[in-house]
This record gives sequence, C-alpha cells and structure tokens, in this order.
Amino acid sequence: MVVIKTSVLSEPVIEKLGALQEADILIGIPSFNNVDTIGHVVRAVQAGIAKYFPDRKSVLINSDGGSQDGTREIVKQTLIQDFQPLLISQSKDFVSKIVIPYHGIPGKGSAFRTVFEIAKTLGVKACAVVDSDLRSITPEWIDLLIRPVIEREFDFVSPYYLRHKYDGTITNSIVYPLTRSLYGRHIRQPIGGDFGFSGRLAEFYLTKDVWETDVARFGIDIWMTTTAVANDFKVCQAFLGAKIHAAKDPSSDLSAMLNQVTSTVFMLMEEYTGKWKNIMMTEPVPLFGFQFSVGLEPIHVNVDRMVNMFQLGLKELGDIWKEIISPDNFSELVATAEREPFSLSDELWTLLIYDVAVAWHRKVMNREHVLKTLAPLYLGKVASLVMDMANNTAADVEKRLESLCIAYEKNKPYLIERWE
Amino acid sequence: MAQIINTIFLEPFKGFLGKLAAFLPNLFTSLVLIITGVILAWILRPIIVAILRFVKIDALAEKLGIKHALNKGGIKEPLSLLSGRFIFWIVIISFLIMGLDALKISAIEDLLRTFLFYLPKVIGAAAVVIVGYMAGNFLGRAALIASVNAGMAIAGLLGKFVRFTVFAITVSMALELLGIGKETVLIAFAIVFGGVVLALALAFGLAGKKPAEKYIEQKLEEKGENDDIHHI
Repeated sequence: MVVIKTSVLSEPVIEKLGALQEADILIGIPSFNNVDTIGHVVRAVQAGIAKYFPDRKSVLINSDGGSQDGTREIVKQTLIQDFQPLLISQSKDFVSKIVIPYHGIPGKGSAFRTVFEIAKTLGVKACAVVDSDLRSITPEWIDLLIRPVIEREFDFVSPYYLRHKYDGTITNSIVYPLTRSLYGRHIRQPIGGDFGFSGRLAEFYLTKDVWETDVARFGIDIWMTTTAVANDFKVCQAFLGAKIHAAKDPSSDLSAMLNQVTSTVFMLMEEYTGKWKNIMMTEPVPLFGFQFSVGLEPIHVNVDRMVNMFQLGLKELGDIWKEIISPDNFSELVATAEREPFSLSDELWTLLIYDVAVAWHRKVMNREHVLKTLAPLYLGKVASLVMDMANNTAADVEKRLESLCIAYEKNKPYLIERWE
Repeated sequence: MAQIINTIFLEPFKGFLGKLAAFLPNLFTSLVLIITGVILAWILRPIIVAILRFVKIDALAEKLGIKHALNKGGIKEPLSLLSGRFIFWIVIISFLIMGLDALKISAIEDLLRTFLFYLPKVIGAAAVVIVGYMAGNFLGRAALIASVNAGMAIAGLLGKFVRFTVFAITVSMALELLGIGKETVLIAFAIVFGGVVLALALAFGLAGKKPAEKYIEQKLEEKGENDDIHHI
C-alpha cells in the first residue's frame, strides 16, 4: 500500500494515485492555455509509450495553471483510437491520465513540483517532462528522454535540439556558456524545457526549499539542470531533432524572463560556490540519438531596434551601470557603443556578465534592479551575434558559440577573484 | 532717610539675594546635569560604536541596501558611526532639557513645554522626509529601468518625474505633520503638480505636435517589426 504524505496534492488526486498504487514511467506536461498544441503533445506521449514502453506501467500528468481555453478538456479527451497507422502493435492506450491544477506561485516550476510529488508518491523509475506548446515533438522524444534512465542508469537527460541560429538567445549567449564554464559540463540546452530524469532525482529535487523563488517560474529548467550537475548525478543529452513551438506569446516579457533565469543561475552560484570555484576544465557529456539536420523556419529579427535599445540603456542607465560594472569594463562598453559597425566582443560580454553576477551577489543595490538593467546589454549582445552570424551555417554557428564559451572559461578567474 | 534707603535699595537687594540663594542650587543642579550628560555621551559613543561593529551592523546595512541609500544621500560614514553619533546627541539633548528644566524658570519651562510638544512632530516629519527620499530614489530608479526596457525615449524624464513626485508628496506630508500652512501646502502642491502635468500636456500637444505624431507613428510601425525570437 502506498503511503501518501504530501502538501501540494489535493484529496481527489491522492485518491487517484492511491488507486494507481505505483508506476514505472511518468510523463509530465505543464500547461496554461495551450489548447492549440497540447492535443498533439499528448498524442505523441501516448504513441511514444505504446511504441517503446508497452510493458511498463505509465502515467501522464497534466499539471495545469488554470487554463480557461479548454486545455484540460483536450487532454482528457485526447486518445489514439487506432495505433495501426503508427505501426504499433497495440490495440488500446495503456497510459493513465491525471489532469490536475497545480498550487503555489503561477509558473512552470510550480507545475513541475506537482509532477515531482506524484513521481515520488508512485515510486516511478523514470520521468520526463515536455512543454505543452511543442509542434515538433514525436513519439521518439519519449524514448530518447526515458531510455537512458531506465537502461543506462542516467539520472538526468538534457535535450539537444536543432534550433534556428537566432532562436534561444538567452541560452546561447548566457546560460549555456556560463553553466559550462561554472560546472565544467557541456550541456547545450540547459534550459531546453524537455527533460528526462530518474525517480531518485525527482525525490532529491523535492528536498530543496525553492518553491517560493524564481525557480517556481522560468527558473525551473536551469535549476533542474544545475542541481543535477552540481550534485554529481549522472547526466547525458538526447538528440531530439528540431524544436518548433507555438508562435511566441506577444505578452511574454523579455525583462521578466531574463530576470527569472539569471536570478536562478546566480542563486545557484551562491549555493554551489565551493563546487564551481574548483572547476577549471570542461568536458562533453554523452549524447544519445541519431543525429541529422533539418531545415528550420526563418526567424525575423529587428537588429536596429536591439541596437537602439542598447544605446538607450547606455544613455539612461549609465549611472546605474557604473555601480554594477567595473570602471575598465564600463569604459570599454562606452567605446563599443561609439564604434561602427556595432559589435560587442565576446571578451567584454563575458566580463559584463561576471560583473552583473558579482553585483547581484554583493547586493550593490536592489537585486531585481541589478538584473533588470541587464536587458539592454543583452539585446546589444544579441544584435552583435545576429550580425556576426548572418551568413553562417548551423555548423559555423556552433563554432561561433564555442568561441564565446571559451571566452567565458578564459575569464573565469576574473569572476572567482571578484566573487569574494 | 535710612528708611528711604532701606526701602529703595536694601529691601530689593535682600530680595534679590534671597532669590539668588534660592536659584543657585537650581543652577548648580542644572550645570551638573548638563556636564553629566556631556560626559555620559562621550563615554557612550565609543561603546555603542564598538558594540555595533562587534555585531557587524555595517555588513548588515550593506546587505539590506541601507549603506547604498545613505551613500546616495551623500552620507559616507558607516552605520555604526552614525548610530554612535545619534546616541551621543540624543543623550546631550536629553540632559540639556533636564538641565534647563531644573532651573525652574517659568519662561524656560513654557519654552520647553512647547518644544517637547513639538518634538515628536519634528521627529515624525524628519522620518517621513528620510523615508520619502529613499522611496523616491528607489521608485525613480525602478521607473527608469522599466521605461528603458520598454524602449521609451523619455525614460530619463519619467524616472526623474517619479522621483520628484514621490519626494514632493513626502515633503508636503511632512509639512502637514508639522502643521505649517496645512491647506496652503496642499493647495500649493495641487497647483504645482497640476500645472506641471498641464504644461507637459500642452508642450506635447502644441509645441511637440509633430514629434508626437512621429513618435506615435514610429511606435505603431515598430509594433509590426517585433522579433520572432524565442529568447529561452
């Protein structure tokens, strides 16, 4: 008999879990008003389980943030009637579905917390979480995220996508190179959003008291990755192909996203200072899956607008930046702004990020203000990268990002020196 | 003659001596109290500073952003030293008041009564101004950063406007607390504030008609030129 002791699960959910007793595999889908895309995601999960893990007891959890557009109804109704066209010798769908609203701060992190609680309660062996706005998810994603955990005893499977060269710019310019430099592991998509992990790691996540911080929002992805890496869990990557998701939500606020992600990165830097300070070498992590290339939808970028935002930031926030950025780096930043054509070098960019991390750590002013002043700098770097990579192929872009990572690693002693 | 001299000079002189004799102990007590206060203040100040440094109040002030707020206000000394100085003056003023009260001179007593009655209001007003100054700086900076991130060309002006408004409101609150021209301050504030808003509206609507048109057009055009980038 399963003993259920939890604070975020409601009585009806506990009853449902009691009926299930236990499970081998859990797939979590966080959602909020994703009626247009979630049906496809649920079908992909059902097909993935039926095709690759037909003998395992599996459960699908939709942790919803109070959707008003019928998202939850779609999840409940979605069912693959006929598996034959998918060449799956299966006559019925064996995945149990639980659709529940999550509690706590509105955000993806709170949704995941519910998933972790259920994983712990059911004693699952392997879990995966996938975004609800994915258009490119296939049943193979489930195999690639789950199998390394079940068969190779990995604890954390990070996604490896093919993305347009202008997509995922916070990942490319800050989170990937910074995380790699700090913790020494080449995890290409540390905030990818679609992960596989062991039940053991899910339980470990629950031991951390972070659910009232930015981890409950956009910070959850980097928190999961860093927690796994910094605590020496066995980590790998899975090649998932293209990542295509629904059109960007026009209301999504860059400043808030940047704030939540960077504050989580810096919070983790404080928590694992002893760990990252001693890491001076970086190494690749195993990558599973058959690699191929794809054509990606073009992305429109307004470079002039980004450069204008950077210039506006320098003009209006200069006095605040002087309190955050070291005098030498600030002088170099001013010189950069005056240079034609505009280009923010990797060297300066890494030093600026390290200055911001140190200013946040030392609380030179209100921490939210420190992070929010980063947005114009970030747009300057994105504009610079976009101009640099205008004629680059996907392979060239990876080489370009490699040189950015090396700049982060080269300047790490500067961070260590200023951190204390 | 002797009676006249006695009435005109000796009697008042005796009376004066009597009053002086009665006053001297009060004066002595007063002086003792004031000197005690000064000595006590001198002794207490380094002790307070040492205790506060021992409990690392300066590091705490830095963490809480108090040091930064003080720096912004032009105060460079650490909080421990400031607190020591504050206690020093509080002790001296307290003993000075006790000393003056010990003189038992009705005019001074009346003055002290008025002063003591007014003192809480002065302290309250000072606290309101200090908090207002800090809040003005904080909110002004928040408005500046938010408007820069929203791409507003007038971000600097907006930041200053928010800072000035918060500070003006707190000054008017402080003056009202002190009871200085209650209605006058309120009306003056309303007139000045309304005037500024009207002036800005007129400037933007009349003198800046073309720039305003251009700005709005640009904003509308930019709306269609947003990026498709998924930053995360």
